[in-house]
Amino acid sequence: MEAVSETDVQFWMAKAVNWVEATSCSALLDTSRHLGSLRSFLQQVLQGLQQMSSTSEAMKTFPFVGQFLGRLCWNPCVIADERSQRLLLQCLSCLYSAEPMNAVEQKANMWIKNMFCHLISEEEGSVAHATVKHAGLTPKRYHSEALQKLVSLMTEEVIKSCDGLPNTSRCSNGNIHAMSTACAALVTCPQMSPLIGALLKHSMLCGSSCLNQEFIKEVSEALISKMLVLEDEAVVNLWCYSPTCLEGAAVSFLESVLSDHETVTQSLDKHVHDSLLPQASADHCHIFLTVNEIYRSVLTEIDENLAVRALIQVFTVCFLQRRTGQKPQDRLPLRSFFPHVMPSLLTPLLTAPSEVPREAWLDHLSWIRSLLQSVTENEEAGEDVRAYQAVFEAWFLLVQCGYWVDTAVELLVLAAPENAEPLLWLLTFFHHPTNRGHQRSQQTAVAREAWTHLRMLFLTRPPPPRHLSAVKELLSSSLSANLVLHLFSNFTVFSHGPVSIITEITDKVLTEAAVKRRALWILASIRCRLNSATMRDDRVHSRLRTLQDALLQT
Amino acid sequence: MEAVLRHLTNILELLAVSQTDRVSEWDRHTALRAFQWAEYCEQLHSRFQSNPAVRSALEAALSDTNRRLRETLPSCSPVMFSELAQCQHMLLVHLLRNPSAPNSVIPMLFPDPKTAAQESQFDQNSLITCKSAFNLLCSTSDGTSSAGLQAEAVVRGTLLGDLLNSLLSRSGNDEYARTLLDSMLHDSAGKPESLYDVIAAALLSPDDETSCVTRRCVLAWLREREGGLSEVCRSLSPGICAVLSRQSPEFKQEYWGVLKQWASCLEFDVLESLWVPTSDEPVTFMKLTDRFKDLLNSGPPLKEETEAELKTLKREAGDFHVKGLCIWTDIIIQLKL
Repeated sequence: MEAVSETDVQFWMAKAVNWVEATSCSALLDTSRHLGSLRSFLQQVLQGLQQMSSTSEAMKTFPFVGQFLGRLCWNPCVIADERSQRLLLQCLSCLYSAEPMNAVEQKANMWIKNMFCHLISEEEGSVAHATVKHAGLTPKRYHSEALQKLVSLMTEEVIKSCDGLPNTSRCSNGNIHAMSTACAALVTCPQMSPLIGALLKHSMLCGSSCLNQEFIKEVSEALISKMLVLEDEAVVNLWCYSPTCLEGAAVSFLESVLSDHETVTQSLDKHVHDSLLPQASADHCHIFLTVNEIYRSVLTEIDENLAVRALIQVFTVCFLQRRTGQKPQDRLPLRSFFPHVMPSLLTPLLTAPSEVPREAWLDHLSWIRSLLQSVTENEEAGEDVRAYQAVFEAWFLLVQCGYWVDTAVELLVLAAPENAEPLLWLLTFFHHPTNRGHQRSQQTAVAREAWTHLRMLFLTRPPPPRHLSAVKELLSSSLSANLVLHLFSNFTVFSHGPVSIITEITDKVLTEAAVKRRALWILASIRCRLNSATMRDDRVHSRLRTLQDALLQT
Repeated sequence: MEAVLRHLTNILELLAVSQTDRVSEWDRHTALRAFQWAEYCEQLHSRFQSNPAVRSALEAALSDTNRRLRETLPSCSPVMFSELAQCQHMLLVHLLRNPSAPNSVIPMLFPDPKTAAQESQFDQNSLITCKSAFNLLCSTSDGTSSAGLQAEAVVRGTLLGDLLNSLLSRSGNDEYARTLLDSMLHDSAGKPESLYDVIAAALLSPDDETSCVTRRCVLAWLREREGGLSEVCRSLSPGICAVLSRQSPEFKQEYWGVLKQWASCLEFDVLESLWVPTSDEPVTFMKLTDRFKDLLNSGPPLKEETEAELKTLKREAGDFHVKGLCIWTDIIIQLKL
């Protein structure tokens, strides 16, 4: 049989034997360390068994299997691990013959039934047997309640051991490590959450690595795959304890956002909020820095990606909202969250548009523009790495605070031509931060051209075909596509024409699926900005909803 | 009611048959029906467990049927009322243990992911997980709770306490509560020490009106059994007995009684100059002194009460001041009071 190698068999047989014979603590440690690979081995065995035509053939091909599975059935750590347990039971049920053909198969059937009996009942004569039997509950309920009570007992013990911890420099409680080792196999068991939470809290307070690494790994994986639900505080403690887990959470959240644009674009702010990352970031500066570092490196690798931009922007908004909710004495200085940015940029950009009166938006945006422009002019004059770095940091801050760019584009929809210049500059800088070959003036010209066409297109009825085709052409150019789409999307939401005309134009302009998807991301960030606005404009909201639905349907 | 009693009889017969070779005639459908009956039976139990009138009618029917079945099928074990809560589980175990159970019936009992969705009542995964998680955690926790009991005993004791509290919060259930304790003791197969720890933990549950009633009921049950209290106190550590005495005046009285009885079994051997046991009670002078030491170490008011009680005992026994005449004098000297 190819599926299972001889070396693996020897390795795992030896493990199964050792785990029974070794003293419980070291055996437990070793079992928890090998749970992941044991699962894959059991999966291989199961696949092998499934290919057999009879139990006799299975026993001949895998002579080790009976002894191996039997030993595992007596190992509480393996059995308590839900995934191993399911695989193990599937292997046993595979070996069961509904119509046994010979004595071997009959014997195997009896053995399997005994094994199953052992798994579901208590040893006769034990106190466990006596108390379960007369508990007046089904065994399922008894064991679930017993586990729940044991967990709360142990949780109390862990919490008690947290008292006075910050004063002692080292964690002397070896029991905490033993408990976390046992919990490694139990992370998907719903009753376990309080104990897992308490262990993570303990680790935060004691400040030394007193938890089993397998435990941390299993908790992190189970959280990401949503097989474990912990209190928010416990999750944040995990991230503080293990940078790897934080990175894992940030990356998997990014992946989930990018892979499911249909549901995510409808309520991006809710998704970001539910990820807990913004809240944790407001409380712990290093979490904010790590998350941003990750999203930033993704952004520079695929800088055309509107989804990542939308995510970063909404993340920043949620972060700032959380900060606003904090008590002033708990707030860390903003400077520490943005250590690389010119301090003068922070106030104008981190102020939410809702905090600035609408009439003052244009002035505020001109202020931002002049600050950013001076940064870019330094780069052009100096041409050294430091100046380049400063431009990049300023640009990344603008991405984080993309709501001001959105505000600029919203203003552009109805702006008088004499006010358009700073707004177009911001939009251009946002989409084309580098000035390679001194293209910025050229890009700004493209932006102005697109803006002129879009004004005509959305203000004239019926939409003039000349402008329609000009916009389509600009949208198809790889150089200006995102910028034009950004402008176009804002025109669809904020121009004053009837919905029917807007939908008609949208249908004609946005024909490709990929472009529609990108437009959805732009609409998603617009929606989040509107959600946090002080005044709610129902007309705009319903139009936005119509547009999102239209783009999702086709 | 008559119909209910008839159903109950049917189910008992069904459980009996599931242990015999006649089960070989069952097919999948029969087995499924049997499990449905068993489930009905579990509902009967949960509905009438705390209702003394209905329960005694059901218990009477159970004992009649048990007697009748023992005559026809002697190998079948009788079914207690408390076990009705686990009818499906019993049926499952009978089928698994019975070599005559048809091979076609067994696979439907396995938690096979393909069938689990339709027949989730057979899904044992969560039971197996909780049970082994419990064992795993108990084995790692060095966790003796504050009273010096193992975590397992504390948890089982709390659950037992909950059960007794819920029964005894209604009148007329006293007798049934004691029957349950009897059954548990019977099923501990002659090794009752672990059960005594569980019972101690049940006695330790937080103070409120119901748990006082429960405590009184458990103590009465222990008193009723010949030498029961003495046996329990001997099995429990001095520490636990001290904690229990601090918490419950009734237990303290009983414990005092046991200690006095132990003391009365010791006799001073003049040649050896030692207190030696005169009866089967394997209690030594040192062990007895240790028990008083734990009581004295339990803080006020138990410490003062113990001192006063010892002095009274000494006075009543003649108030001797020299060693070897009165055991209380010697204990007081030993404890340096």
